[in-house]
Amino acid sequence: MAYFIFTYFCVAVFAVAAGCRLYRHLTLPLHVRWEIYPVRHETNPRNVYGGSYMENMDWWNRPYETSRLNELKYMAPEILLLKGLRKANKRLWYVSFPFHLGLYLMTVTFILMLLNAGFTLWGFPSFAAGGAFRPWMDYLIAFSGWTGMIAGTVGSLGLLYRRLTDPDLKSYSTFADYANLGAILLFFLIAILAVLPGDPFLDGAKAYVLDLLTAGETGRAYAPGQTVSGALTIVLASLLVAYIPLTHMSHMFMKYFLYHSVKWDDEPSRPGTRIESETMQNMQYKPTWQAKHIGADGQKSWRDIASADPKETK
Amino acid sequence: MKTLLKPSDIANASECLCHIESGELSPLPSPYEDFNQTTLLPLKPEKTKNIESSLDDTVAIGLPRPAGIEEEEALVAQFLSGLKRLFEKKNNWTFLQPLMLSMEHCARCHTCSDACPVYEMSGRKEIYRPIFRSEVLRRIYRKYLKPGGKITARLTGDIDLNWTTIARLAELSYRCTLCRRCATVCPIGVDNGLINHEIRKLFSQEMGIAPKELHEKGTVQHLRVGSTTGMKPPAARDSMEFIQEEMEEITGYKVDIPWDVKGADILLIHNAGEILSWPENVGAFAIIFQVAGISWTLSSEEVGYDGVNYGLWYDDVQLARVAIRHAEIARRLRVKKIVVGECGHAHKALTVIADRLLSGSLNIPRESAMVTLENIVMSGKLKFDPGKNNFPVTLHDPCNVVRAMGIVEPQRRILRKIAPQFREMTPHGVENYCCGGGSGFAIMSGYNFAEWRNLVSSRKKFLQILEAFRDEPREVPKYVCAPCSNCKGAIRDIIDYYHAGERSNLYYGGLVELVVNALDGMKKPIVRFGDKPSWG
Repeated sequence: MAYFIFTYFCVAVFAVAAGCRLYRHLTLPLHVRWEIYPVRHETNPRNVYGGSYMENMDWWNRPYETSRLNELKYMAPEILLLKGLRKANKRLWYVSFPFHLGLYLMTVTFILMLLNAGFTLWGFPSFAAGGAFRPWMDYLIAFSGWTGMIAGTVGSLGLLYRRLTDPDLKSYSTFADYANLGAILLFFLIAILAVLPGDPFLDGAKAYVLDLLTAGETGRAYAPGQTVSGALTIVLASLLVAYIPLTHMSHMFMKYFLYHSVKWDDEPSRPGTRIESETMQNMQYKPTWQAKHIGADGQKSWRDIASADPKETK
Repeated sequence: MKTLLKPSDIANASECLCHIESGELSPLPSPYEDFNQTTLLPLKPEKTKNIESSLDDTVAIGLPRPAGIEEEEALVAQFLSGLKRLFEKKNNWTFLQPLMLSMEHCARCHTCSDACPVYEMSGRKEIYRPIFRSEVLRRIYRKYLKPGGKITARLTGDIDLNWTTIARLAELSYRCTLCRRCATVCPIGVDNGLINHEIRKLFSQEMGIAPKELHEKGTVQHLRVGSTTGMKPPAARDSMEFIQEEMEEITGYKVDIPWDVKGADILLIHNAGEILSWPENVGAFAIIFQVAGISWTLSSEEVGYDGVNYGLWYDDVQLARVAIRHAEIARRLRVKKIVVGECGHAHKALTVIADRLLSGSLNIPRESAMVTLENIVMSGKLKFDPGKNNFPVTLHDPCNVVRAMGIVEPQRRILRKIAPQFREMTPHGVENYCCGGGSGFAIMSGYNFAEWRNLVSSRKKFLQILEAFRDEPREVPKYVCAPCSNCKGAIRDIIDYYHAGERSNLYYGGLVELVVNALDGMKKPIVRFGDKPSWG
């Protein structure tokens, strides 16, 4: 039971930490535009060469159009294959890609296990023992899990090795960087150790996920917590889930804001729109910058200050 | 194995944190090998004895040294209060979200390094690496402003904060051209150019520290006198009269430049540097608009005849002040739109950044001159003889027009129509390299900064230009088309510095000059290669 509580707790930490990050960014004021081209939701043919709607004469008289398809065409290989890194830093891609692939596949494996547990609990006959889809699900979970563990081990080992031996990376690496990679490597290694001796279909993990959904009420005889490596896998995986949103590794979901709220945020301000309204609100903020030429006193608004010439030079 | 500097080394007092030795800069090809051993001459001690100069071989700001420990401590405290304000909504709503995202998510993978022309050309000097200064700021922020930062610094990266750190960081923020090439390759989307921009802002908006060319002689003079050039409205009008006469003499075409025409379709805003340094650019615009029958005007109001906005590079308040003045002038003139002339940073400041500063009646439509010109050139209203431009032409992409705004093809479509020997640089478009004069560098020349620019930050562009014309014989005149005043200034300086006029027959100019040069009806060419006319 202690394992379940620990996992629940770690998932809760993840949810709260990720939620806080998301909430903070969703409630930040609208910032000035700082897009950088190519903006991938641009429509064709400008999408091909990195052009913008501002290439059109009198662009403000045309509707602001974006292409979700173009965005997806870029994002899918970027997220799944790290295409940008492959182009700009191939040497790192060789280790970073398996590392990320490993993490992706572990997530996929966990989702498949959740589905599997759900089908079992809901009593789908096709997923019951001897059911038509059961072997397929077992093979899929095994394939995803094993590929993920092997890719993750290779990738985290490679990244750790690169950080330890590449002088450029080494001089910027901190204890936290090594610890993060070390913890992830340890998770992959222990996970392999847990299943290698006699659990090729990851039945222990499947049983644990099923028990997670029922708080152990299913009473399965076989659970990974019964072995040291199985117990460690549960603890490490749970800790990683809790830890990731507290670090720069939160880029796994914060990348959405880095791209959509900054790099690709090219929406123009038009009369009567949300953007214009938020711009007007922002100009009511009362800054306190101390340089004399700003002339801020905490009482004057941005609008007041920006509408007046500087009285002082410095 | 060479010992690499670490971000924490910025705090360690020494005479010079980074020195470029002779032969360390990226090599130049023939006939420029004699520059390969050239390096920056050390500044004379009497010039630097009272200013901070311990970062590298040059000085951009010239920060006075504090008189004593107390003053140093006061400056450190001031820096920290400014850093805190960078993360407050009321003070930095303009860039808060982009800053937070870039501060929190860097994986320090160094993918950005190879994209940076300054880092590459310097011989990969550590302090010019895009994340060096970001990491310094990140560590200071975590250690001195985050709860428990002094304990966690041992785990997440330590740094000491003292006067040396601050003074060097201020200088270091003026070794990046804000070209943001690094941001385009970051797999996560982190923008080191943005962090550099924010460092500059902290120093300006909290401590009143900025290069005098950008601040006192830049935005302050712009707002007080009317132009960063120091030119007052009467002088601007006089200069324009002179340009009218010059244009008639040069091209044989009589042009009238309209002033303060209420209700005109277009308010054209030039970089006033064009009026003084490249009057033919201003004249060429006037000829094109006149021949095309465009309803347009210039403004003779203070600030209205100078489209620059140096605030873009270092100070949001100054940026907003200039942008609002531009918009107010357009509103008073009741024009339908503002067209920004051949000035890259003016494009970005007024069209993109000011988009979320201006509202209501101040949100006057704004358009790039590249787009306006394309429409005119393709409309059929003007007749061209491209044979007049039958010389090798390459195009420089100003970062602020192309990478920051996505205006990529209009200028190319014009060149394909009027310049038969047009060829691209490699890479080009949104992957272009900065001219080396970006973010104010083109107008900064105190101490030996101009030489640093020519040797280091403009070096990649020089190599690109040489490569674009590699197959052309030396004696053939070659034209670098740079539709941006600052870029033109930087390219002019590299041509002069490396004697590329004599050695490679290199010339430079804007886009409109090429348009007018190919225009039917001109009696004489506007483009000249030294003493020689380009045609006729």
